[in-house]
Amino acid sequence: MTEIFSTLFGQSDAQAPPSSAALGFGPGKPPPPHPQSAAPVPPQLSGQLGDEGPTARKPGVINEPFYLLRELPVGNDLTGNTNLITHYNLEHAYNKFCGKKVKEKLSNFLPELPGMIDSPGVQDGSSLRSLIEKPPVCGNSFSPLTGALLTGFRLHTGPLPEQYRLMHIQPPKKKSKHKHRHHRPQDPIPPETPSDSDPKKKKKKRDDDPERKKKKKDKKKKKNRHSPDHPGITGSQPNSNSLR
Amino acid sequence: MAEKFDNLEEHLEKFIENIRQLGIIVSDFQPSSQTGLNQKLNLMITGLQDIEKCRQQLNDIHVPLEAFEYIDQGRNPQLYTKECLERALAKNEQVKGKIDTMTKFKSLLISELGKVFPEEMAKYKAIHGDDPPS
Repeated sequence: MTEIFSTLFGQSDAQAPPSSAALGFGPGKPPPPHPQSAAPVPPQLSGQLGDEGPTARKPGVINEPFYLLRELPVGNDLTGNTNLITHYNLEHAYNKFCGKKVKEKLSNFLPELPGMIDSPGVQDGSSLRSLIEKPPVCGNSFSPLTGALLTGFRLHTGPLPEQYRLMHIQPPKKKSKHKHRHHRPQDPIPPETPSDSDPKKKKKKRDDDPERKKKKKDKKKKKNRHSPDHPGITGSQPNSNSLR
Repeated sequence: MAEKFDNLEEHLEKFIENIRQLGIIVSDFQPSSQTGLNQKLNLMITGLQDIEKCRQQLNDIHVPLEAFEYIDQGRNPQLYTKECLERALAKNEQVKGKIDTMTKFKSLLISELGKVFPEEMAKYKAIHGDDPPS
């Protein structure tokens, strides 16, 4: 114990900077009752206290009469004060994914993929998680099948049973699109004259009218120009104003 | 960078197309289709070899496991990206709010302390300067 103490004592002696008064007010030191009348701290003690607190101040700086005074953080550090999306040039990604509605289904992301891919992978054991958790037992390389090995792939003639025809099942959305294309030319009612009894169709027609849309846009623009709150910034920005 | 992905994408598309054709052959198998089936099977192995080769180029790519969960649930993985960006922005705004409030608090505290302890605050300002860093 005394050995440790002496080594510490010796080290602090050797490392003691010229200004002992500055180190006397180390960050780990408890404040004395009368700071003004406090005598200069001996270098040995100051060194010991300096070891406790790693955030020591610059040597030679006298911080009297303050205790626990630390260096202020450097202002150049990247913090949440800056808009990090702008900082890392992710505005394009933000506008792409958050500016418009992203479609929910996986088939919208991979439209070319055949089969029903929107159903949960756990149902048919095709989940990626199961692939990670239980990787398939296989060799290190893929080698082509020789004539003898290919004899194992001789199949029975005839169609597959219903339950195994998964490759032909497509998501219902694709089918409905296909139907629309086929039905339009055969539709007995011309598209210009929708029946009044169908309110949905009528509403859709109204929204699709390009002249009406243009008029609406112009009206909106005029309103915005005259309003005193007009910010003149597009709404799709990722709140860049608030974070700058 | 994009080349690596394009290469993998191309091989995956070819592989999927081959599997699709294999499925069609198998779904209504005829004895005459055996040669075609054998070809497709070997093409499948070649496809797997090609995908395996792409692995070396993509060693430094890390995919978050959460994105896999989206795919497993039949959801668009772009929703994960969207949610990440939204969460990051919300947190960013929250932290900025905290920093702004603390900065305001600091300047207010300095001005109020200056009224009560003018001498000490003058010394403090001499050490740290007048303007608090933002």
